[in-house]
Amino acid sequence: MRGFHKPISSRQWGLSALLLVGAVALPFVASPFELRLAQQILLFGGLAVAWNLLGGFTTYWSFGHAAFFGLGAFAAGLLGQQLGPEVPVALRLVLGLLFAMAVTLAAAVAVALPVLRLRGIYFAIAMLAFAQILGEVSKTFDVFQGAIGFTLPILKVPGLAKVQLFYFLFLVFLMVCIGLFVVMRRSRLGVGLTCIGQDEDTAAMLGVPTERYKLTAFVISAVLTAVGGVLYSYSLGFMTADTVFRIDISLNLILYSMVGGIGTVAGPIIGAAIMILLTQVVLGDLLDLHMLVTGAVLVAMVTLAPKGLIGLVRDMRRRREETTVEEGAAS
Amino acid sequence: MTVLTIESLTKQFRGLRAIEDVTLTVERDSITSIVGPNGAGKSTLFNMVSGYLKPTSGRIEFDGHDITGMAPYRICRQGVARAFQISKPFPELSVQENVLVAASFGRAGERDAKATTTRAIDICHLTPLRDRRAGSLSIGNLRRLELARAIAARPILLLADEPCAGLNDAETRELTNVLSKIRDSGVTILLVEHDIKAVRRVSDRVVVLEAGRKIADGSATDVFSDQAVIDAYLGTAPA
Ligand SMILES: Nc1ncnc2c1ncn2[C@@H]1O[C@H](COP(=O)(O)OP(=O)(O)O)[C@@H](O)[C@H]1O
Ligand SMILES: [Mg+2]
Repeated sequence: MRGFHKPISSRQWGLSALLLVGAVALPFVASPFELRLAQQILLFGGLAVAWNLLGGFTTYWSFGHAAFFGLGAFAAGLLGQQLGPEVPVALRLVLGLLFAMAVTLAAAVAVALPVLRLRGIYFAIAMLAFAQILGEVSKTFDVFQGAIGFTLPILKVPGLAKVQLFYFLFLVFLMVCIGLFVVMRRSRLGVGLTCIGQDEDTAAMLGVPTERYKLTAFVISAVLTAVGGVLYSYSLGFMTADTVFRIDISLNLILYSMVGGIGTVAGPIIGAAIMILLTQVVLGDLLDLHMLVTGAVLVAMVTLAPKGLIGLVRDMRRRREETTVEEGAAS
Repeated sequence: MTVLTIESLTKQFRGLRAIEDVTLTVERDSITSIVGPNGAGKSTLFNMVSGYLKPTSGRIEFDGHDITGMAPYRICRQGVARAFQISKPFPELSVQENVLVAASFGRAGERDAKATTTRAIDICHLTPLRDRRAGSLSIGNLRRLELARAIAARPILLLADEPCAGLNDAETRELTNVLSKIRDSGVTILLVEHDIKAVRRVSDRVVVLEAGRKIADGSATDVFSDQAVIDAYLGTAPA
């Protein structure tokens, strides 16, 4: 929307291009272990950005995004079962993605109508419950095969190892999430959503169509998350209710965003990188400590840097500028 | 020309008649002030005009349309803006962005939003503060931000409920200047205000309510020398 955001500077474009070149080159120099880490950062960074399309702008914090992650995966799995063996894997994946998006769109609209009437903690809990219910339903009813799950065929592209291939798919996924976030933030929709986040009643009073905007953000966020679920399941080669309807996924998306900075585009990705490297590399052999460290990081962030690392840097920079201005005025 | 016509308006809250058979008109490009002791029914009257309360009986006509009992957002779209006493800005947005939201999403639509914003900020004496975070403003500046947001929606009629409450003398004077400028820019104002000095300064017309009934209506000079008004209101007011 005009007048709200400075145009993206050439420095920002340059930095983005540089990062992209680096990200494209990485699979040809990194070890498979390093690539698997990078894969996770790309995928969960992208999902955290998708979570922010709702939670970051509006402060409607979903504690149950795993619901959409799992819903997408199951939609693709069930569809795959209906397709004959002659359908090539790449086409299966594409059809699975489309079906997952359609199913999630419908489900998100249906859930949003009651759930978006709740605010704050009630919304968070309702989403948490929604994810738990979907997980249970997939296990209870045999048609969904949640307990035994599905095997997914292996996607092959000549010249690329599997770990490289999925690295690139996740990279594209992340870029789509980033692109949507940036476009949305700069649009009328994004401005309206930001106002909803600051004061929903006032936003409504000033003419922001709050219900429609919230619904739009909710649905886009959900559909992206479903795409992530499909890609993730294909990269694993199988899925069960326990691999996708995971509460730790829901919580990690919030954690990554909080560590890096909620409502920013780089924050959730930085947060994902830090937490994934911390738990998988630094504490790689100390599985028992993961939850403990995660909890400690969360407490530290909430008390010391509630706006995340990006917020911390911004505040420091602002303070420095303000002191320079004052010194300039005094002299 | 008459912008707002209120005819035999009554609002009954169970046993209590908060507004009883009140009739008044508001002329275009004027500031009409409603005064009266606490509990006189001023806010109730406002709430009926802006649609937050439905009248028990009577009729409200705005700009040629019957708006009695209409939903608030529809009345808002017809051109009635309301500046709240407890102003709630978007704290993390700048002053300019706060006003721009009102201009872009309001009745006027996004066209010319930038120019409307600049003008509203100027009228409300906020130009030097336009890049400040709204959350860091003093109460006097916040009240003017609330007015700037209200007029950025390009209303015909502005309802302001006690905009001077809690302000010091200097801030009150600045606010009344702003109200006059808003009127001069072509917005009719209906004001509820306790500060009699401020009311005298800005009002083209004063209506006095007591216990839900209109007891006086006229120019500030006439109304404030009326014995009934002095007895009912001025005699008890600290001003
Ligand atoms: N929603 C309501 N329900 C019941 N009584 C109300 C309500 N709102 C106002 N009143 C009563 O109506 C009378 C007028 O109130 P109000 O309009 O707020 O007065 P003023 O703004 O002039 O101080 C008061 O006696 C108040 O207690
Ligand atoms: Mg009142």
